[in-house]
Amino acid sequence: MRLTSETIEDVLDLVLVEAECSLDLRDVGSIDVYALLLLDLVVRHARESGAPLRVTWPESPSVRRWMTAMHFFVDVKTGLASRPAERNAAQGTRVESGGAANASERAAGSFALGASTLAPIVSIDREDDVSRLVGSFDDRLSDRYPMDESPRRRFLRILLELFQNIPQHANATGDVLDPHGIAAMHDDGHSVVLAIADKGIGLARSLRLCLGLRSGSSEQACLAQAGLEQSRLEQACLSDADALRAVVFDGRSRFRDPGRGHELERIFRLVRSWEGTVVVRSGSALLYQSEAGGDVVDVAPFPGVQIALSIPRAVFGIGEAAFGKGGVEPRGDPGFNEGNEENDA
Amino acid sequence: MKAMKKTTLEISQFGRRLGTRLEGAAARRTLLAALDDLPPDGQLVLSLRDLDVLSGSFADEAIGKICQLLSSGLHGDRTLVVASPSADLVEDLSDKLAQRKLALLCRVGGTKGTWRVLGALARPLVDTLELLNERGSATTKELADTLGIPPNACHNRVRRLVRLRLVREEKIDTAAPNTQYRFHAIVGGLTARAG
Repeated sequence: MRLTSETIEDVLDLVLVEAECSLDLRDVGSIDVYALLLLDLVVRHARESGAPLRVTWPESPSVRRWMTAMHFFVDVKTGLASRPAERNAAQGTRVESGGAANASERAAGSFALGASTLAPIVSIDREDDVSRLVGSFDDRLSDRYPMDESPRRRFLRILLELFQNIPQHANATGDVLDPHGIAAMHDDGHSVVLAIADKGIGLARSLRLCLGLRSGSSEQACLAQAGLEQSRLEQACLSDADALRAVVFDGRSRFRDPGRGHELERIFRLVRSWEGTVVVRSGSALLYQSEAGGDVVDVAPFPGVQIALSIPRAVFGIGEAAFGKGGVEPRGDPGFNEGNEENDA
Repeated sequence: MKAMKKTTLEISQFGRRLGTRLEGAAARRTLLAALDDLPPDGQLVLSLRDLDVLSGSFADEAIGKICQLLSSGLHGDRTLVVASPSADLVEDLSDKLAQRKLALLCRVGGTKGTWRVLGALARPLVDTLELLNERGSATTKELADTLGIPPNACHNRVRRLVRLRLVREEKIDTAAPNTQYRFHAIVGGLTARAG
């Protein structure tokens, strides 16, 4: 069983629609980085909702090692009571000193880190920490591979925009206890995969804020705003799917300032121009766009915004001529979990 | 017209990787102070030398909003231009200026680099700007004659360029029934290319 951006929806259906209080992940043989972040948020969300999940974690040692290397267990076990600053402190010391990881997990984490993990899970809480976090992602990527400068710079601009979206938008209403913004990066052997996720207010609620509507907006509420311009009214009435389309395809923002917005739209266009894959999930809507096409589909409602960008390694010049030219041999393992299975032997 | 005073400010003083709106807003305060230190017709040259990354959000807060202020006339005839070592460094800045329907001159490359227009500027306006930059200065009539367009149309184009602070105007005959103006390039006679 593989947990991917598609199959993680089955997990969300079980938990959020069928109200299952236990998850059996024993047979999971691989998890992609987007699914890992969603799993983290789902477990956390259930706990915060007063119905903690009983999770049986994957039995595969390679998968557990990878999850450990990604700091998953440290992040997911960080208690409800802990404040973001405490979480950052725990993550700052990495898995080796994380109280939640046992000795074997720590050893496994160190082993697996070199294989395909580009950047383990980090918390994004404060805007003034964003540049440092992006710098750490850049360092990890640049240390691993010789990269072409122009795509590297473009990728850093993507990181900067997506990372700062969390402190700027995830709790724009001020009523989310902990939006729990997290990000991680992974090399799956073909692509560099970046995942960024939070369980904040999501795109639809964010757009509604342009009218000062702080709670779920109904048609009546929209009609009550009859004096407002039509486009703003429409924005207040958007469903999750419409809000997702408005933000990703039309560049809409909750701000009236013409300089705001269009970031996700630009990122979407750039990643697609690289023949990459884009996944954006918000509320009950999911956009999956790849070479084969894409669409916005209905999914189980879950708070916040979750994004995955899969960018072919060739875009960065990774694994092309560098080795032959005396560069560094790419170390990403094809199909990371399968690759790690080899390490088990 | 006397030569304008130019001051160059290195944006790398705020860091090599400029990304967030928070950082951009802080930088804007420094840039505005530098702009206000100039004479009313002075020019701030914003150098992107030694910069690794300039995000759209930082660029909008620090540069886009200043362009907005300049075009509103709050800072007199002061102008702002950018000098960037590479074209890809200013991609997001250009997008943000286009969102604001503003434009900015940017020299890409070293001191002998090419001037480009960042942001949104319609082709006829670019043609007019290119001509004025080649000549250094001209009246509306001279520009209209060369471009082969009616003087009124040319006047509208140049007024828009003045409002965007891409060229400067000088009153040359206030005694005439209609005040006469001469328009001056702000970038030293080099050709500006859209883009």
